Amino acid sequence: MRQILPILLGVTLWVVPALAQAQVQARGEVKKPEITSLKGLISRYSSESCKECHEKIYDQWSKSQHSRPLMGMDDQVFLTRYLKEGPLALKKGEKATRENLICVKCHLPQMLEPGVSEAVFDELAQAIQKGDKATLRQLNIGCLVCHGDKAVVHGRPEKGVLYGSKTIPSHPGSPVKKSALLKNPLICGQCHGLGPVLDFKNPQQCATLYGSYLHAYIPTGGSQTCQDCHMPDKNHYMPPNFNNREETSALYKAALPMDVRVMGYTFQPKEEDKRPMVVVQTKITNKAGHRIPDG
Amino acid sequence: MPQAGDSLGGEMMLGPDKKLGFLRDTTIQPFAAKEETLEIALPANTREVVVKVALSYQPRPGNVYPLHEQAFRVTLDR
Repeated sequence: MRQILPILLGVTLWVVPALAQAQVQARGEVKKPEITSLKGLISRYSSESCKECHEKIYDQWSKSQHSRPLMGMDDQVFLTRYLKEGPLALKKGEKATRENLICVKCHLPQMLEPGVSEAVFDELAQAIQKGDKATLRQLNIGCLVCHGDKAVVHGRPEKGVLYGSKTIPSHPGSPVKKSALLKNPLICGQCHGLGPVLDFKNPQQCATLYGSYLHAYIPTGGSQTCQDCHMPDKNHYMPPNFNNREETSALYKAALPMDVRVMGYTFQPKEEDKRPMVVVQTKITNKAGHRIPDG
Repeated sequence: MPQAGDSLGGEMMLGPDKKLGFLRDTTIQPFAAKEETLEIALPANTREVVVKVALSYQPRPGNVYPLHEQAFRVTLDR
Protein backbone atom coordinates (compact mmCIF):
# COMPACT_ATOMS: atom_id res chain seq x y z
CA MET A 1 0.00 0.00 0.00
CA ARG A 2 2.89 2.36 0.84
CA GLN A 3 4.23 1.84 -2.67
CA ILE A 4 0.87 2.31 -4.37
CA LEU A 5 0.07 5.71 -2.79
CA PRO A 6 2.86 7.74 -4.47
CA ILE A 7 1.95 6.19 -7.79
CA LEU A 8 -1.72 7.11 -7.40
CA LEU A 9 -0.81 10.66 -6.36
CA GLY A 10 1.48 10.94 -9.35
CA VAL A 11 -1.28 9.91 -11.70
CA THR A 12 -3.76 12.27 -10.05
CA LEU A 13 -1.38 15.24 -10.25
CA TRP A 14 -0.77 14.57 -13.92
CA VAL A 15 -4.41 14.05 -14.80
CA VAL A 16 -5.79 17.18 -13.08
CA PRO A 17 -3.75 19.77 -15.07
CA ALA A 18 -4.45 17.83 -18.25
CA LEU A 19 -8.20 17.92 -17.56
CA ALA A 20 -8.06 21.62 -16.64
CA GLN A 21 -6.30 22.37 -19.93
CA ALA A 22 -8.86 20.34 -21.83
CA GLN A 23 -11.69 22.27 -20.12
CA VAL A 24 -10.06 25.58 -21.00
CA GLN A 25 -9.84 24.54 -24.63
CA ALA A 26 -13.41 23.23 -24.59
CA ARG A 27 -14.65 26.66 -23.41
CA GLY A 28 -12.74 28.28 -26.24
CA GLU A 29 -10.55 30.28 -23.89
CA VAL A 30 -7.65 32.18 -25.35
CA LYS A 31 -4.20 31.37 -24.04
CA LYS A 32 -2.37 34.67 -24.20
CA PRO A 33 1.37 35.07 -24.24
CA GLU A 34 2.80 34.85 -20.77
CA ILE A 35 3.19 38.30 -19.21
CA THR A 36 6.00 38.18 -16.69
CA SER A 37 6.70 41.84 -16.00
CA LEU A 38 4.87 45.12 -15.51
CA LYS A 39 6.62 46.36 -18.63
CA GLY A 40 5.10 43.46 -20.54
CA LEU A 41 1.66 44.19 -19.10
CA ILE A 42 1.93 47.89 -19.97
CA SER A 43 3.00 47.03 -23.51
CA ARG A 44 0.29 44.37 -24.00
CA TYR A 45 -2.51 46.72 -22.89
CA SER A 46 -1.15 49.97 -24.34
CA SER A 47 -3.67 52.26 -26.04
CA GLU A 48 -1.02 54.07 -28.05
CA SER A 49 -1.73 52.31 -31.35
CA CYS A 50 -5.45 53.18 -31.02
CA LYS A 51 -4.52 56.83 -30.60
CA GLU A 52 -3.22 57.04 -34.17
CA CYS A 53 -6.74 56.87 -35.62
CA HIS A 54 -8.96 57.56 -32.59
CA GLU A 55 -7.22 60.68 -31.35
CA LYS A 56 -10.33 62.44 -30.06
CA ILE A 57 -11.47 59.41 -28.06
CA TYR A 58 -7.95 58.86 -26.76
CA ASP A 59 -7.80 62.48 -25.64
CA GLN A 60 -11.14 62.17 -23.82
CA TRP A 61 -10.06 58.94 -22.15
CA SER A 62 -6.63 60.28 -21.17
CA LYS A 63 -8.32 62.94 -19.02
CA SER A 64 -10.62 60.39 -17.38
CA GLN A 65 -10.29 58.49 -14.12
CA HIS A 66 -9.95 55.31 -16.21
CA SER A 67 -6.56 56.51 -17.42
CA ARG A 68 -5.21 56.57 -13.86
CA PRO A 69 -7.07 53.89 -11.87
CA LEU A 70 -4.21 53.41 -9.41
CA MET A 71 -4.03 57.10 -8.54
CA GLY A 72 -6.59 58.48 -6.14
CA MET A 73 -7.69 62.00 -5.41
CA ASP A 74 -4.86 64.54 -5.26
CA ASP A 75 -2.68 62.11 -7.23
CA GLN A 76 -2.12 59.84 -4.22
CA VAL A 77 -1.21 56.16 -4.58
CA PHE A 78 -4.19 54.96 -2.60
CA LEU A 79 -3.18 51.27 -2.49
CA THR A 80 -0.06 52.00 -0.41
CA ARG A 81 -1.86 51.85 2.91
CA TYR A 82 -3.59 48.57 2.11
CA LEU A 83 -0.22 46.88 1.61
CA LYS A 84 1.05 48.47 4.81
CA GLU A 85 -1.73 47.56 7.25
CA GLY A 86 -4.98 45.65 7.35
CA PRO A 87 -6.02 42.28 5.92
CA LEU A 88 -4.12 42.74 2.63
CA ALA A 89 -0.85 43.92 4.22
CA LEU A 90 2.46 42.35 3.30
CA LYS A 91 4.67 40.95 6.01
CA LYS A 92 8.34 41.94 5.99
CA GLY A 93 10.25 40.00 3.33
CA GLU A 94 7.08 38.46 1.94
CA LYS A 95 6.43 38.49 -1.81
CA ALA A 96 3.07 39.90 -2.89
CA THR A 97 0.55 37.66 -4.61
CA ARG A 98 -2.86 38.32 -6.13
CA GLU A 99 -4.31 37.85 -2.63
CA ASN A 100 -2.58 41.07 -1.53
CA LEU A 101 -3.77 42.96 -4.60
CA ILE A 102 -7.42 42.02 -4.93
CA CYS A 103 -8.18 45.65 -5.80
CA VAL A 104 -6.83 44.95 -9.28
CA LYS A 105 -10.03 43.06 -10.02
CA CYS A 106 -11.42 46.46 -10.98
CA HIS A 107 -8.56 48.94 -10.71
CA LEU A 108 -6.40 46.96 -13.15
CA PRO A 109 -8.54 44.05 -14.38
CA GLN A 110 -6.03 42.88 -17.00
CA MET A 111 -3.89 41.59 -14.10
CA LEU A 112 -6.37 38.76 -13.61
CA GLU A 113 -6.39 37.69 -17.24
CA PRO A 114 -4.87 34.30 -18.12
CA GLY A 115 -1.15 34.48 -18.73
CA VAL A 116 -0.19 37.11 -16.16
CA SER A 117 2.37 35.55 -13.86
CA GLU A 118 2.51 35.91 -10.08
CA ALA A 119 5.81 37.82 -10.47
CA VAL A 120 3.86 40.74 -11.96
CA PHE A 121 1.83 41.04 -8.75
CA ASP A 122 4.98 41.34 -6.68
CA GLU A 123 6.42 43.88 -9.08
CA LEU A 124 3.23 45.92 -8.89
CA ALA A 125 3.30 45.76 -5.08
CA GLN A 126 6.87 47.02 -5.12
CA ALA A 127 5.94 49.93 -7.41
CA ILE A 128 3.07 50.80 -5.06
CA GLN A 129 5.26 50.58 -1.96
CA LYS A 130 7.95 52.74 -3.55
CA GLY A 131 5.38 55.26 -4.74
CA ASP A 132 6.69 54.80 -8.27
CA LYS A 133 4.15 57.09 -9.91
CA ALA A 134 5.93 57.07 -13.28
CA THR A 135 5.23 53.34 -13.59
CA LEU A 136 1.81 53.39 -11.94
CA ARG A 137 0.57 56.12 -14.29
CA GLN A 138 1.21 53.79 -17.23
CA LEU A 139 -1.10 51.14 -15.77
CA ASN A 140 -4.61 51.96 -16.77
CA ILE A 141 -8.00 50.77 -17.89
CA GLY A 142 -7.38 51.39 -21.57
CA CYS A 143 -9.06 50.54 -24.85
CA LEU A 144 -8.24 46.82 -24.75
CA VAL A 145 -9.88 46.26 -21.38
CA CYS A 146 -13.40 47.31 -22.38
CA HIS A 147 -13.06 46.58 -26.11
CA GLY A 148 -11.49 43.19 -25.35
CA ASP A 149 -11.70 41.26 -22.10
CA LYS A 150 -14.75 43.05 -20.64
CA ALA A 151 -16.75 43.03 -23.87
CA VAL A 152 -17.44 39.31 -23.57
CA VAL A 153 -19.01 37.65 -20.55
CA HIS A 154 -20.46 34.57 -22.24
CA GLY A 155 -17.22 32.63 -22.60
CA ARG A 156 -13.91 34.27 -23.45
CA PRO A 157 -12.99 36.90 -26.06
CA GLU A 158 -11.69 35.56 -29.34
CA LYS A 159 -7.97 35.76 -29.96
CA GLY A 160 -6.89 38.74 -32.05
CA VAL A 161 -10.36 40.28 -32.07
CA LEU A 162 -11.51 43.66 -30.77
CA TYR A 163 -15.10 44.35 -29.81
CA GLY A 164 -17.15 47.41 -30.60
CA SER A 165 -20.72 48.60 -31.07
CA LYS A 166 -20.59 47.44 -34.70
CA THR A 167 -18.68 44.89 -36.79
CA ILE A 168 -15.72 46.25 -38.78
CA PRO A 169 -13.91 43.33 -40.44
CA SER A 170 -11.38 45.63 -42.14
CA HIS A 171 -10.37 47.46 -38.93
CA PRO A 172 -6.58 47.98 -39.04
CA GLY A 173 -4.63 45.79 -36.67
CA SER A 174 -7.45 43.55 -35.53
CA PRO A 175 -10.96 42.94 -36.86
CA VAL A 176 -13.78 44.38 -34.77
CA LYS A 177 -16.75 42.24 -33.86
CA LYS A 178 -20.01 43.63 -32.56
CA SER A 179 -20.60 43.16 -28.84
CA ALA A 180 -24.00 44.15 -27.49
CA LEU A 181 -22.35 44.69 -24.12
CA LEU A 182 -20.68 47.90 -25.29
CA LYS A 183 -24.05 49.65 -25.05
CA ASN A 184 -25.26 47.72 -22.04
CA PRO A 185 -24.84 48.72 -18.37
CA LEU A 186 -23.34 45.31 -17.65
CA ILE A 187 -20.03 46.31 -19.20
CA CYS A 188 -19.71 49.00 -16.52
CA GLY A 189 -21.27 46.80 -13.84
CA GLN A 190 -18.42 44.31 -14.08
CA CYS A 191 -16.36 46.76 -12.05
CA HIS A 192 -18.75 49.37 -10.70
CA GLY A 193 -19.98 46.53 -8.60
CA LEU A 194 -22.74 44.63 -7.03
CA GLY A 195 -21.59 44.34 -3.45
CA PRO A 196 -19.23 42.07 -1.52
CA VAL A 197 -16.46 40.48 -3.60
CA LEU A 198 -16.12 36.98 -2.23
CA ASP A 199 -13.78 35.55 -4.86
CA PHE A 200 -10.62 35.98 -2.78
CA LYS A 201 -9.16 34.65 0.45
CA ASN A 202 -9.66 38.11 1.97
CA PRO A 203 -13.11 39.19 0.77
CA GLN A 204 -13.78 42.90 0.48
CA GLN A 205 -16.30 45.45 -0.65
CA CYS A 206 -15.67 48.46 -2.80
CA ALA A 207 -18.04 49.82 -5.43
CA THR A 208 -21.71 48.84 -5.20
CA LEU A 209 -23.09 51.16 -7.84
CA TYR A 210 -24.34 48.59 -10.33
CA GLY A 211 -26.25 46.89 -7.52
CA SER A 212 -28.00 50.18 -6.82
CA TYR A 213 -28.73 50.60 -10.53
CA LEU A 214 -30.26 47.10 -10.71
CA HIS A 215 -32.14 47.08 -7.42
CA ALA A 216 -33.14 50.72 -6.84
CA TYR A 217 -33.11 52.59 -10.15
CA ILE A 218 -34.61 49.97 -12.47
CA PRO A 219 -37.37 48.80 -10.08
CA THR A 220 -38.55 52.39 -9.60
CA GLY A 221 -38.98 52.94 -13.33
CA GLY A 222 -35.50 53.98 -14.45
CA SER A 223 -34.78 53.21 -18.08
CA GLN A 224 -31.50 54.91 -18.93
CA THR A 225 -28.16 53.17 -19.20
CA CYS A 226 -24.83 54.14 -17.66
CA GLN A 227 -23.70 55.11 -21.14
CA ASP A 228 -26.68 57.47 -21.65
CA CYS A 229 -25.51 59.72 -18.83
CA HIS A 230 -21.77 59.08 -18.53
CA MET A 231 -20.92 58.63 -22.22
CA PRO A 232 -23.13 61.05 -24.17
CA ASP A 233 -22.18 60.98 -27.88
CA LYS A 234 -19.78 58.11 -27.02
CA ASN A 235 -17.60 60.53 -25.07
CA HIS A 236 -14.91 58.46 -23.35
CA TYR A 237 -14.20 61.09 -20.67
CA MET A 238 -16.85 59.40 -18.49
CA PRO A 239 -17.19 61.82 -15.58
CA PRO A 240 -16.95 62.31 -12.64
CA ASN A 241 -13.32 63.28 -12.71
CA PHE A 242 -12.48 64.08 -9.10
CA ASN A 243 -9.31 65.90 -10.11
CA ASN A 244 -11.49 68.59 -11.68
CA ARG A 245 -13.21 70.03 -8.64
CA GLU A 246 -15.30 72.68 -10.37
CA GLU A 247 -16.64 70.27 -12.95
CA THR A 248 -17.36 67.56 -10.36
CA SER A 249 -19.24 70.04 -8.17
CA ALA A 250 -21.33 71.11 -11.18
CA LEU A 251 -22.10 67.48 -12.07
CA TYR A 252 -23.23 66.59 -8.55
CA LYS A 253 -25.17 69.83 -8.28
CA ALA A 254 -27.14 68.92 -11.39
CA ALA A 255 -27.70 65.34 -10.15
CA LEU A 256 -28.85 66.46 -6.70
CA PRO A 257 -31.17 69.47 -6.98
CA MET A 258 -31.97 70.97 -3.58
CA ASP A 259 -35.11 72.81 -2.60
CA VAL A 260 -35.10 74.84 0.64
CA ARG A 261 -37.94 76.50 2.53
CA VAL A 262 -37.33 78.68 5.56
CA MET A 263 -39.88 80.05 8.01
CA GLY A 264 -39.43 82.23 11.07
CA TYR A 265 -42.04 82.43 13.84
CA THR A 266 -42.52 82.70 17.58
CA PHE A 267 -43.27 79.42 19.28
CA GLN A 268 -45.31 79.53 22.50
CA PRO A 269 -45.31 76.16 24.28
CA LYS A 270 -46.92 77.67 27.43
CA GLU A 271 -48.08 81.02 28.83
CA GLU A 272 -45.32 83.62 29.19
CA ASP A 273 -42.88 81.39 27.28
CA LYS A 274 -42.23 82.81 23.85
CA ARG A 275 -39.39 81.35 21.83
CA PRO A 276 -38.13 82.72 18.52
CA MET A 277 -37.69 79.86 16.07
CA VAL A 278 -36.65 79.25 12.53
CA VAL A 279 -37.73 76.13 10.66
CA VAL A 280 -35.65 74.96 7.71
CA GLN A 281 -37.06 72.33 5.37
CA THR A 282 -34.76 70.77 2.79
CA LYS A 283 -35.55 68.40 -0.04
CA ILE A 284 -32.77 66.78 -2.05
CA THR A 285 -33.76 64.78 -5.12
CA ASN A 286 -31.49 62.26 -6.82
CA LYS A 287 -31.71 62.39 -10.61
CA ALA A 288 -28.91 59.85 -11.12
CA GLY A 289 -29.45 56.20 -11.96
CA HIS A 290 -27.92 54.99 -8.71
CA ARG A 291 -27.48 55.97 -5.09
CA ILE A 292 -25.24 58.93 -4.33
CA PRO A 293 -22.58 58.60 -3.19
CA ASP A 294 -21.36 55.32 -4.64
CA GLY A 295 -18.70 54.23 -7.10
CA MET B 1 -21.26 54.95 0.03
CA PRO B 2 -23.46 53.32 2.62
CA GLN B 3 -21.95 52.77 6.05
CA ALA B 4 -20.29 49.36 5.93
CA GLY B 5 -19.05 46.90 8.52
CA ASP B 6 -16.96 43.74 8.22
CA SER B 7 -19.94 41.37 8.68
CA LEU B 8 -18.38 40.19 11.94
CA GLY B 9 -19.87 42.82 14.22
CA GLY B 10 -21.66 46.13 14.47
CA GLU B 11 -18.67 48.42 14.06
CA MET B 12 -18.39 50.65 11.01
CA MET B 13 -15.28 50.05 8.92
CA LEU B 14 -13.37 52.42 6.68
CA GLY B 15 -11.53 51.11 3.64
CA PRO B 16 -12.66 48.57 1.06
CA ASP B 17 -10.13 46.04 2.37
CA LYS B 18 -12.10 45.85 5.63
CA LYS B 19 -15.66 46.42 4.42
CA LEU B 20 -18.01 43.51 3.84
CA GLY B 21 -21.70 44.30 4.03
CA PHE B 22 -23.73 47.34 4.98
CA LEU B 23 -24.72 48.47 8.47
CA ARG B 24 -26.80 51.44 7.40
CA ASP B 25 -27.57 53.18 4.13
CA THR B 26 -27.92 56.93 4.45
CA THR B 27 -27.19 57.67 0.80
CA ILE B 28 -29.62 59.45 -1.48
CA GLN B 29 -31.56 56.90 -3.50
CA PRO B 30 -32.72 57.34 -7.09
CA PHE B 31 -36.30 58.64 -7.35
CA ALA B 32 -36.50 58.93 -3.54
CA ALA B 33 -36.18 62.50 -2.38
CA LYS B 34 -34.54 63.00 0.98
CA GLU B 35 -36.44 65.51 3.10
CA GLU B 36 -35.31 66.94 6.39
CA THR B 37 -36.81 69.49 8.78
CA LEU B 38 -34.56 71.37 11.16
CA GLU B 39 -36.18 73.31 13.99
CA ILE B 40 -33.73 75.84 15.33
CA ALA B 41 -34.37 77.71 18.57
CA LEU B 42 -33.03 81.25 18.38
CA PRO B 43 -31.69 83.39 21.22
CA ALA B 44 -34.41 85.29 23.11
CA ASN B 45 -35.71 88.46 21.49
CA THR B 46 -34.23 87.65 18.07
CA ARG B 47 -36.46 89.15 15.41
CA GLU B 48 -34.39 88.66 12.28
CA VAL B 49 -31.89 86.05 11.19
CA VAL B 50 -29.95 85.04 8.09
CA VAL B 51 -30.06 81.32 7.39
CA LYS B 52 -27.44 79.81 5.12
CA VAL B 53 -28.02 76.29 3.78
CA ALA B 54 -25.09 74.55 2.12
CA LEU B 55 -24.78 71.09 0.62
CA SER B 56 -21.37 69.66 -0.16
CA TYR B 57 -19.92 66.27 -1.03
CA GLN B 58 -16.87 65.14 0.92
CA PRO B 59 -15.64 61.74 -0.29
CA ARG B 60 -12.55 62.01 1.92
CA PRO B 61 -11.64 64.33 4.76
CA GLY B 62 -10.30 67.49 3.16
CA ASN B 63 -11.75 66.77 -0.30
CA VAL B 64 -14.81 69.01 -0.28
CA TYR B 65 -16.92 69.53 -3.38
CA PRO B 66 -19.43 72.37 -2.80
CA LEU B 67 -22.79 71.71 -4.46
CA HIS B 68 -25.41 74.18 -3.26
CA GLU B 69 -25.45 77.26 -1.09
CA GLN B 70 -28.50 79.39 -0.44
CA ALA B 71 -29.02 82.27 1.98
CA PHE B 72 -32.36 83.47 3.38
CA ARG B 73 -33.08 86.60 5.40
CA VAL B 74 -35.90 85.64 7.75
CA THR B 75 -37.91 88.02 9.88
CA LEU B 76 -40.15 86.94 12.71
CA ASP B 77 -42.20 90.13 12.48
CA ARG B 78 -44.69 89.24 9.80
